[in-house]
Amino acid sequence: MSSLSIPASGIAGHRAMAVIEARRMARHPVFVLGVALGFVVLGLYVVLVGDETGIPVVLTLPLLGAFYIGLASVIAAALLTRSTEVAVETIATAPGTEARRTLALAATGIPPLVAGLVFSVALVVLAKVIGVAPQEWWFGTLPDWQVWSIVLMCPVACFDGALLGVLAGRWLRFRGASAMVVVALIVVSVLGQPLLDTGSSEWRLWVPWAIFHTGDNPDGTQTLIAGNPAAYLGYLLALGALAVLGAMWHDRTARTPRFRILVAAVAAAAVAFFVLAATTGNHDNRDSDPIPSRATS
Amino acid sequence: MSAGTSTVELTGVGKRYGRTRALADVDLAFDRGVTGLLGPNGAGKTTLLRIVATSIGADSGEVRLLGRDPSRSHADVTAVRRELGYLPQELGYPSDMTAFGFIEYVAVLKEWNDREARSQEVRRVLDAVGLADQASVRISRLSGGQRRRVGLAQALLGDPRLVVLDEPTAGLDPAQRADLRRTLSALGHRSTVLLSTHQTEDVAALCERVVVLAGGTVRFDGAVTDLVATAVGRVWLADEPGDDALVSWRTGTGRHHVVGGRAPVGADPAEPTLEDAYLLMLGPDAHRVHTPS
Repeated sequence: MSSLSIPASGIAGHRAMAVIEARRMARHPVFVLGVALGFVVLGLYVVLVGDETGIPVVLTLPLLGAFYIGLASVIAAALLTRSTEVAVETIATAPGTEARRTLALAATGIPPLVAGLVFSVALVVLAKVIGVAPQEWWFGTLPDWQVWSIVLMCPVACFDGALLGVLAGRWLRFRGASAMVVVALIVVSVLGQPLLDTGSSEWRLWVPWAIFHTGDNPDGTQTLIAGNPAAYLGYLLALGALAVLGAMWHDRTARTPRFRILVAAVAAAAVAFFVLAATTGNHDNRDSDPIPSRATS
Repeated sequence: MSAGTSTVELTGVGKRYGRTRALADVDLAFDRGVTGLLGPNGAGKTTLLRIVATSIGADSGEVRLLGRDPSRSHADVTAVRRELGYLPQELGYPSDMTAFGFIEYVAVLKEWNDREARSQEVRRVLDAVGLADQASVRISRLSGGQRRRVGLAQALLGDPRLVVLDEPTAGLDPAQRADLRRTLSALGHRSTVLLSTHQTEDVAALCERVVVLAGGTVRFDGAVTDLVATAVGRVWLADEPGDDALVSWRTGTGRHHVVGGRAPVGADPAEPTLEDAYLLMLGPDAHRVHTPS
């Protein structure tokens, strides 16, 4: 027998692996760069674009965090997923399965989630301190739950970015795969939502980043686009879970009947949240009262 | 050794890569102690070790490790892997990890779940390979020999019952090799250690048993002293290289070390080394790279 006792596998082991992966993500230079850029650009926006009415179009700003932190997280998580594969012969002959390692890699989403939350809190605090125009779509002009849902899209998208990176890292082996995924994500998000089509705009919500706020229109109004942002958050979370399950699917030994049922259940949940997002909440696009100083026509 | 009791039992094991035969009908059993695998490139050493390490499966024959058939079920292979330490021939390292971080990562995979116990174990194996003072250095900044020792350290985690080392001494300097021999000889008292190497002096210094592979088959299996004994009377020191010697070279004393063939005129019998015996055992096969079917 071994002279040293080996603890049994289980939750504790998974937690230990998850902590290692989360720590590696938090130190990854691409992720750190993305976080730094996100906060610097937010600061520059507030300083350079802010006017006498306060911070303009504040409800569009979660996009900044999602863009810099979330997209950097895609690349960083994909690189981390691939990085340990150089030692695959050693790792694969340890007791843990690839699916277990992949599940632990889902913890790479924790630092982006935290960074996204801090970004959102910073946004809300800045808006509170500096102020926003009374006509803005924000607290007071929208139900609180809708504002919070749109603001929280930032941390959820950051979290999902890492999970998508894990999926890409498991399945795409070629150089530059994660950058290609980032480009695809942007293209799908931009082309997948007909912003000006008021008749069918709720159905744009299938994209991984849906816009709920147009920014300033030429007449100084702002358009809030139809849909239920809270249900959309649920849809995004379900997509993230699907990304993890898709990455775990790479391990053939993981494809048990119970796992297949789980995949089907999460996919069904994603569809349900999408339908809820598209059919509940605000049914029509709504224009705010005009903010005269923002009118350009 | 009676059937069913050895740590490693291979019966009629075969493995092919396409049309190339890597192993053919290999019967071997290993128990506690250090066994060296010798053979030319392409002899099947790495394939044999990878099968024992559960990295690949055999195409034919029966493999039993620690009393289990690793191909039978996931539970069986997991049980084997819990008591296995493996250093592959080529081990890459994540570029962002330190020596400690990488070994800790492997320790977690090997189910060292308690943080304090895991840290102690990682420090123990780093110390065992002489890398305690390099623990916080990124692996990408370590020398080739130090990286090899990081790989060895992860294989020693948990004092596994079965240790499989593919060319553990590659890239090590003489002092590091001496340290490694000390570590492995101590390990051999309680574990089954299989190592492949091209360094016959490592086998001579460390192993009580040697297996010579060539063309995917076992050419010799026995004590190191028995292999050396096969060369007695076939090695000479002579003033001229032997005409029909298997191999000869001019030594630092100016005389020629002649292995095989007939004794040159005026030759003095020399004490054979394991390398002489190995070369004689393989004959021309010592230079073969692989054996197509």
